[in-house]
Amino acid sequence: MAFEGCPGSRMAHFQDKEAQDDTPAAKVKSQLRQWPVQLHLVSPLAPYYQGADVLLSADCVAYALGDFHTDYLKGKSLAIACPKLDAEQEIYVEKIKSLIEDAKINTLTILIMQVPCCSGLLRLAEVAAQSANRKVPIKYIIVGLQGEILQEAWV
Amino acid sequence: MERYLNKGIKQVIIEFPAVGSILDEYNIGCTLCGVGACLLKDIVEVHNLSPEEERELMGRISKVIYPDRVVEIPVTQRKNGGAGAGEVKYSPPMQGLVDEHTVIKRLLAMIPFIIEDMEVSRGEDRALVLGTVDFIRSYADRYHHAKEEDILFKEFDENLDIIKVFNEDHKIGRGHVKAVIEALETGDNRSIKEHLAGYRELLKGHIKREDEVLYPWMDRNLSTSQIGRLFAGFINVDEQFREVRAKQGAFVKTLEKKYKYEEVK
Repeated sequence: MAFEGCPGSRMAHFQDKEAQDDTPAAKVKSQLRQWPVQLHLVSPLAPYYQGADVLLSADCVAYALGDFHTDYLKGKSLAIACPKLDAEQEIYVEKIKSLIEDAKINTLTILIMQVPCCSGLLRLAEVAAQSANRKVPIKYIIVGLQGEILQEAWV
Repeated sequence: MERYLNKGIKQVIIEFPAVGSILDEYNIGCTLCGVGACLLKDIVEVHNLSPEEERELMGRISKVIYPDRVVEIPVTQRKNGGAGAGEVKYSPPMQGLVDEHTVIKRLLAMIPFIIEDMEVSRGEDRALVLGTVDFIRSYADRYHHAKEEDILFKEFDENLDIIKVFNEDHKIGRGHVKAVIEALETGDNRSIKEHLAGYRELLKGHIKREDEVLYPWMDRNLSTSQIGRLFAGFINVDEQFREVRAKQGAFVKTLEKKYKYEEVK
C-alpha cells in the first residue's frame, strides 16, 4: 500500500454532496450561549461553565456535523481546540482540570473527528480528569468526515 | 391487535401461554416477572429489540393471538433507535449500580451455605443470620435500593409500569427480611430458611432484569445532563455509606473464606 500521508491532512472531495439536499429547510438557530469559545481564551471561572454540561469540541467538528447546534451544542457550554495544531496544550490540561474541580461541571462531552490526531483531545481530557480530585462523567463522540456518528461511549 | 398491544403482558400470557414461550426465546423474562404489568407494546422498547427482531417477534405473537388471519402490526415508536441485543455498555452511574449488584450477588451465593444445617439456637448460626440480615438491610436496601428509589427512579415517571415492577420487588424483599427477623425472635428455623431462600431467588431475578433490561433502557432514555446529576447524587450517597460499604464488603469476604467459596466474578 502506497504511503498516503497523514489522514488528518489527506485530501478528500465529497462530490456527491454538491447536488443533494437542496430542499429549503427552516433556518437553524444558533445554540451558542457564550463568548469566547476557544480553549486558550476561555476562563473556567466564567459563569456559563459553573455546574454546566460542557462540550469540548475539536475545531473541525462543527463543519462536518450538520446538526451540531441542535443535537450537540444545545443546552451545553462550549470550548473548542485543535489537538494537532494548537500550541501550549499543557494549559489545556490545566483548564479542563479547573473546569472539573473549580467550575464543578456536571458532565464533559468530547466531540472529535475520526482522524487519528483528533484523539489527542480525548487524551488531554483523560489526563486532566485523572489528575482532578473530583470526578465527572465523560462521554466521547467520534464524527466521520461526512458528519456521520461513528462511535459514542462513556469513558 | 391494538387491543392486545395495550394489555398487561401477564394477562396476555395467561390468555395465550404460547406468547410466554415466544418471549422466553428472545430472553425476555416476562414469564418470570412477579408483576407483569408492562404493556405488550412496551416490551419491544424496553428490551431494545432491533427492527428486524421486533417484526419477527410481533409476527409470531400475532399468529398465536389470531391464528386464522393476518393482522396489521403497528411499528413501535422508539426514542433511541433500537440497536438490538449486544454487549451492554453502561453510563458511569449505572455501572456503579451494576458493581454494587456484584457485591450483593456474592452475598446471595452464600445463603445456601448459611441455611444448610442451620440451627438458630446455636450462637454461631444465629450470628450468621443476623449478619446476613444486617447486610441486606444496610447494603442492599438502605444503600443500594435507596439510591434507586430516592435518586434514579425520580428521574422517570414513577407511574411507569416498569418502575412499579422493580419497586414491588423491593417491597417483597423487605417482607422476606421482616419475616426472617420475626422467625429469629420465635426461633422458627424453617421460616428463616424459607425466607432467606426466597429473598435469594427474588434478588437473583431482580438483579438480572435490572442489569439486562432496566438499566440499559434507562441509559437509552436519560439525557447527558441527567447522567451527570445521577453521578453526583450517587457519589454523595457513596460518601455517606463509606463505613457500611467497608463493613459489608468485609462480611462477604469472611463468608467466602468460611465456606471456601471463590468470589463471584
